[in-house]
Amino acid sequence: MTSRRAPRGAESADLDLFALASSIGEPAHAPPPAPEPLIDSTRYPGETAASAIAVSLLTQTAKDVIEGAFIPLWVRGEISDFKSHRNGHWYFCLRDGQAQVRCVAWKRDQRGIPAAPDDGMQVAAFGRLTVYAARGEMQFSVTRIEAEGDGLRRKALEITRARLEADGLLAPERKRRLPPFPRVIAVVTSPDGAALHDIVAVTRRRGANVRLVVVPAAVQGETAPEELCFALDQVNRWGGADLVIVGRGGGAREDLWAFNDERVARAVAACRVPTISAVGHEIDVSICDLVADLRAATPSAAAEAATRSRGELEGELRKLSLRMRSATRALVRARGDRLRHIGRDLASGGGEQVARRRTQLGAVSGRLHALSPLATLARGYAVARGRDGSTLSTVAQLSDGLPFDLVVRDGTVSARVERAGEDA
Amino acid sequence: MTFEERVARLEAIASALEHDGVDLARALELFEEGIENLRAAADELARAEARVQRLVERADGGFDVVDAAE
Repeated sequence: MTSRRAPRGAESADLDLFALASSIGEPAHAPPPAPEPLIDSTRYPGETAASAIAVSLLTQTAKDVIEGAFIPLWVRGEISDFKSHRNGHWYFCLRDGQAQVRCVAWKRDQRGIPAAPDDGMQVAAFGRLTVYAARGEMQFSVTRIEAEGDGLRRKALEITRARLEADGLLAPERKRRLPPFPRVIAVVTSPDGAALHDIVAVTRRRGANVRLVVVPAAVQGETAPEELCFALDQVNRWGGADLVIVGRGGGAREDLWAFNDERVARAVAACRVPTISAVGHEIDVSICDLVADLRAATPSAAAEAATRSRGELEGELRKLSLRMRSATRALVRARGDRLRHIGRDLASGGGEQVARRRTQLGAVSGRLHALSPLATLARGYAVARGRDGSTLSTVAQLSDGLPFDLVVRDGTVSARVERAGEDA
Repeated sequence: MTFEERVARLEAIASALEHDGVDLARALELFEEGIENLRAAADELARAEARVQRLVERADGGFDVVDAAE
């Protein structure tokens, strides 16, 4: 394998190089009209076989010319032969129907590329045309790629999502419940943004008894992911909040991109208190939304979900008050009843012991009692029996003057029919 | 006590009172405590206002929470 570093010209050819460079400096450099013989090996290098220049000088010169001629620019075409090298650099071709150019995206330049492109993707690539002298090849050095239909961003989202999922950060059982009465809510957002304004307005309107502590961070632009991570880390280190809202108002898709950053998502997941993510009005769900304990569609919705209105809380207190009062009332009434019973027992039985015995006895005999006709008698009914012991239960059985026994609760009474009544 | 703690305490008191076994003297004590908690919680609600502050990290790694200028 050849060294990637271009051998910079032949050390022995310094003079020649100067000569060549100066002649390049004058583009209209058709050989100056010369009265002298055409063959003059000293006029410019490479004019004759004898003055042939080194390959490295040729490629180096081509490099200087080409790289000097093009400013960085966008080129569109189709990706092919994409390879990600072990060392992290990406090599591929950009081509259209007629031509192709070799491309490289150095590892350090890949930050501006959402994800590695796939073969066949239609893209616009931004970069600089260079010459790779060691191979004598033109090479387009790419620093940004935008795919048609936002394909790269979608791919990047899928990759990030898969990585978070693999780490279990998207698991539903990981979602924490929001505190029912948050007192201190950390709001990680831009201090000048619409999101903060909306959150404050909603919280005030609800009369919620809460402190909103703003933890400032840029929410768009290149530094946004780092600033958001830093702010979330501050919330953790501070430890004074019992809920975190992280978000921003609506915006263009690129403006919301920081909330799809894997680092930000991991910082949200690392929050020690429950989190609400509130990112704009975008239809797509952001990666932060997936990781947060609750996703709110807007910052206002986040504030609604986070706080409870004064009315709600007052209702809660009223309910508790009612429960307490009615339970106490029921309790006092029950105790009063029991006291009255005991009082009665004391009065009739002449002593607590008697009362207790009576209660025991009552309990034991209760079941028998229920089955026995004595129970009926006890309620004040009587049974009429003939002298032969048969039960007299119809008018026909009782003729005028008939003697019979009346069985009542505590004994038997001898009786006689005075006048048999009419049929009922 | 925080509002949340008060509400939790009130829940506990209500449950205790709803339980048959509670001793009458204890019940009255609980009731009184509950009433006190209710009053304090209601007072807190009446004073409720959303404050907006800002977290400021000091050079020593500590934090200050300062009222935000609006």
